[in-house]
Amino acid sequence: MTHDEPIRPDPDALLAHARGQGRGRLKVYLGMAPGVGKTFEMLSAGGRRKREGEDVVVGVVETHGRRETEDLLEGLEVLPRRPVEYRGRQLLEFDLDSALARKPGLLLVDEYAHSNAPGSRHPKRWQDVEELLAAGIDVWTTLNVQHLESLVDVVWKVTGVRVRETVPDSALSAADEIELADLTPAELRERLHAGKVYVPETARLASDNFFKPENLTALREMALRRAAQTVDDQMVGAMRRQGIEGPWAAGERILVLIAGDGTAGALVRAGRRLADLMKDAPWTVAHVERPNRPTGDARSARRIAEAFKAAEQLGATTVVLTGDDVPTAVLAFAGRNNVTQIVMGKSPDSLWRVVTGRSLDYALLRRSGGAALHFVGPGAPDADSAEPASAKGRKAGDGVGYLGAVTLVAAMSGLAALLDRYTTGADLGMIFLASVLIAGLAWGLRPALLAATAAIACYNFFFLEPRFTFVIGHATDILTFAIFIAVAGATGWLTGRVRDQARLSSRRASAVTALLAASRRLSAAATLQDAAQALAEQASAAAAGRSVVLLPKAEDLILAASAPAAVALTTADMTAARWAWDKREAAGAGTGTLPQIGWTFRPLIGVRGRAGVAGVEVDPRGGLDEERLVAALLDQGAVALERAELAAATVENEALRRSDKLRAALLNSISHDLRTPLSTVMGAATTLIDYDPTLKPETRADLLVSIREEAERLNRYVGDLLDMTRLEGGALTTRTEWTDVRDVLAGAIRRVERRLGHRAVVRDFPAELSAAPLDQSLLEQAVVNILENAIEYSPDGLPIEVAVYEDRANVVISIEDEGPGIPKVDIERVFERFRRLEEPSDRAPKDRKGAGLGLSIAKGFVEAMGGRIAAASPIHGARGTRILISLRKAPPAPMPAESP
Amino acid sequence: MSAQKPRVLVIDDEPQIHRFLAPALEAAGYEPLRADTAAEGLAMIAKRPPDAVILDLGLPDMDGKQALVRARVFYEGPIIILSARDMEIEKIDALDLGADDYVEKPFGVGELLARLRVAARNRLSSVGAAPIVEAGALRIDLIQRLVTREGEGVKLSPREYELLARLVEGRGRVLTHQQLLTAVWGPAHAADVQYLRVFVGHLRQKLEPDPSSPRHIVTESGVGYRFIND
Repeated sequence: MTHDEPIRPDPDALLAHARGQGRGRLKVYLGMAPGVGKTFEMLSAGGRRKREGEDVVVGVVETHGRRETEDLLEGLEVLPRRPVEYRGRQLLEFDLDSALARKPGLLLVDEYAHSNAPGSRHPKRWQDVEELLAAGIDVWTTLNVQHLESLVDVVWKVTGVRVRETVPDSALSAADEIELADLTPAELRERLHAGKVYVPETARLASDNFFKPENLTALREMALRRAAQTVDDQMVGAMRRQGIEGPWAAGERILVLIAGDGTAGALVRAGRRLADLMKDAPWTVAHVERPNRPTGDARSARRIAEAFKAAEQLGATTVVLTGDDVPTAVLAFAGRNNVTQIVMGKSPDSLWRVVTGRSLDYALLRRSGGAALHFVGPGAPDADSAEPASAKGRKAGDGVGYLGAVTLVAAMSGLAALLDRYTTGADLGMIFLASVLIAGLAWGLRPALLAATAAIACYNFFFLEPRFTFVIGHATDILTFAIFIAVAGATGWLTGRVRDQARLSSRRASAVTALLAASRRLSAAATLQDAAQALAEQASAAAAGRSVVLLPKAEDLILAASAPAAVALTTADMTAARWAWDKREAAGAGTGTLPQIGWTFRPLIGVRGRAGVAGVEVDPRGGLDEERLVAALLDQGAVALERAELAAATVENEALRRSDKLRAALLNSISHDLRTPLSTVMGAATTLIDYDPTLKPETRADLLVSIREEAERLNRYVGDLLDMTRLEGGALTTRTEWTDVRDVLAGAIRRVERRLGHRAVVRDFPAELSAAPLDQSLLEQAVVNILENAIEYSPDGLPIEVAVYEDRANVVISIEDEGPGIPKVDIERVFERFRRLEEPSDRAPKDRKGAGLGLSIAKGFVEAMGGRIAAASPIHGARGTRILISLRKAPPAPMPAESP
Repeated sequence: MSAQKPRVLVIDDEPQIHRFLAPALEAAGYEPLRADTAAEGLAMIAKRPPDAVILDLGLPDMDGKQALVRARVFYEGPIIILSARDMEIEKIDALDLGADDYVEKPFGVGELLARLRVAARNRLSSVGAAPIVEAGALRIDLIQRLVTREGEGVKLSPREYELLARLVEGRGRVLTHQQLLTAVWGPAHAADVQYLRVFVGHLRQKLEPDPSSPRHIVTESGVGYRFIND
């Protein structure tokens, strides 16, 4: 920052501050050890607040039976505990849900570092507190400094106690306020001896050691420094927010190098401490993967994954570097990112690597330029750092090679014995050298070395003078043996390297292939359901376990797809899935939330937001590669789901657009259908007015007829529009009467008579017909519409048949024409409104007038009377259309019949 | 003109239109010809060009504008368009594509025949004919470029005169915005309709007896202007 430009507030600081808005405030009572009076102070202060009228509730407090503490609970509301069965014992746990439901202004929660009973929502209490804060509840809690995650190693070194209940440093950094509960070590020891300090039975053995004055002093210093540092951090934060320029070390960047051994965790914690000391300097945890030396066993891969996870919890970014030469890869990264501090473990390097300058420590020392190097000795061993099982596996795998090497040398010895009489000893050496070479090529370094040793032994014993002793007769033989070893070393190493590289690249290739295949399948998925199914299947294949995809529906998540099919999720699984959805973070196995279930749920976050949640059943043997593959897949899946969703929306838009188009076509059609008869009326009338004297009488008559006809057409059309409006608007009222359908049909035929031309109407009416309860005028209009449709669509001169008959329940009207019929694809749609508008040209066949409302009105009217209407076509070979109207003889239930 | 009756081809798919137009045209002294489709009409024009064509824009077999373009390839006589009032764009396109005028449906026969006459006259009188045009108290001398109103000279800017001259030359006919702009300001300004509005306003101020209800320079909403001198 140059000094002449105004100092602006640091955006990061503002962002962090903004993130804190609306959250509850956290106050931590920090102590150096049990018994310093944290709980006591917290309760006293809480009681004071309560008396001042604040809504103070005690969520959970361990009084350990101490009277003075219990007295403080007087007058405070204490939430009931939640009973939890665990291994036959009943534990009383803090009830997070009831605390959230009660939503007090201030909640007192003792023992920040407490581990919840298995089956709780969060494994740790600090996570409960996190949720309470997020819900806007102020929380006060207590913490002993030795529970801080980054201090675990230091505490172990100082006191010899390995603390298992830990709180990540970020959980303390999140505190808005820290209050130090302080006692001098001497005072504390006094209290201890007076029995005023509760020490759990299990810890009593360690307690004497733990409460040694020098330990207490060290712990006290840690607590004091922590408290001071937090105050310092807050001040720096405030200064940065307000744009005050300060002395904070900009540009300090820390790089922590971890390997797959047991020290990864300790290195990460050391990195965090260093970052803290450097005023929260950005820090990165890196692991270098060498293409020619794969991480190898799953165990170290998992260790690295865990260390990465821990590092991310402690606020680091993580990265996997790739490079053949570790120092080069590290220094390249350090250079790019302005790393100023490199933290690494003290590696037990072989003398060989030190001599050749390939020791990492040495190479970095020589080449690190300005970066400071920190070497961390082995700290508290990571919880799981037992002897790697896979080392045994590797030895077992080599067993075949050893056996092969020995057999090969034995066979070569036999061959050499056969050739012994024809050749001299030196040439026989070549045969043995061949066996070493073959062993090296076939089985790698160790079997090659074994073959070399065996070959030397056999060669020397059987074929070199003095024979049948291991005495080396000539100095040159030593050179021969050295060559054996060198050949074994070179070929074995080369073969091993080539093999490892091949294995690694095939693994990479299969990962890439899987991703490509997934990408193809995902992009081919047209619907949301397809995309979800594809994602579930691909994720299941990649993770070698079961997989599910959940999609949001009506405020909840539903199981949309699973692989294999029909996977059932338990209530706990669903809780984790909802958590992943709500909080946009992973939940379930391997995470901080509900880790006891078998699934890991990850939110699917695409470009526009959350698309769903994917669950993958964890395969404990899975390594880092599988996890990364699954993560990459899920990213793709989120995008694919989003795309499918968009596509669905497009279809919806398309429907809307079509209805818009329909409306435009309707307007167009009304304009045309109203205007054409009007033009005729007007044109004919003006012709008569302007040229009456010169017109021939028959022309005059024709013009007058055309005026009447077009006026009638106009009237019909307006009538249709009105009928349609009545149907649409629900304004249709029916007047049901017992009716002879034959009368209505005759009336309808009379109405269309003049438009029939040369079409004959063939009537097929029975002599006897039951009366049916119906609205005469509606039925007549329906029949007229159908007849007009038949007239429009059938050539002049062909008959139209109108028939009526009855079965047990219905009176059925059938109207047939001999027109061209209706194409199969359209038969379903003949009763749709404005069907004609969607014909290729809305004026396609000449003489067909009207917007295609007729049949849809007929359907509306028939259905309003409780009848049914259907169309069939073709009926006579390839021609003809039949419309059937079926009316019930008994009155339809909702309509009371009137007297006949 | 020959003693033969002028032949007018009506291209329309509505039989009712033919039913009244045929006797009306006949009564007005024309010989009506009937075509029900664009293809049929084009064939008839090609075979023996009529003296005028009445073309409905809504034809079943071909877009009316397309039929117009095809007809214009080999037919120079007047073409009157029949169209609906809500199809402004269609009308403008048709005029710009070479139609002489349009009539909105529903229309009176008198209006159609008047348009037909104007179009026929404009086609017959080439440039230079009828150099002096009178409209009410206005007298426009297209040769001497003189405009008088009730005998007194009216001062017009060169652009105003150009615009007036174009309108007068096409008197009785609608001239689209684009046609006027291209003729007076050049093709680069074919879309600058606001120029026209301003200049037509000036002309009306100077020429119209009542500029707020113009009688000579009439607006055809959304389409263009028409000069009326009768």
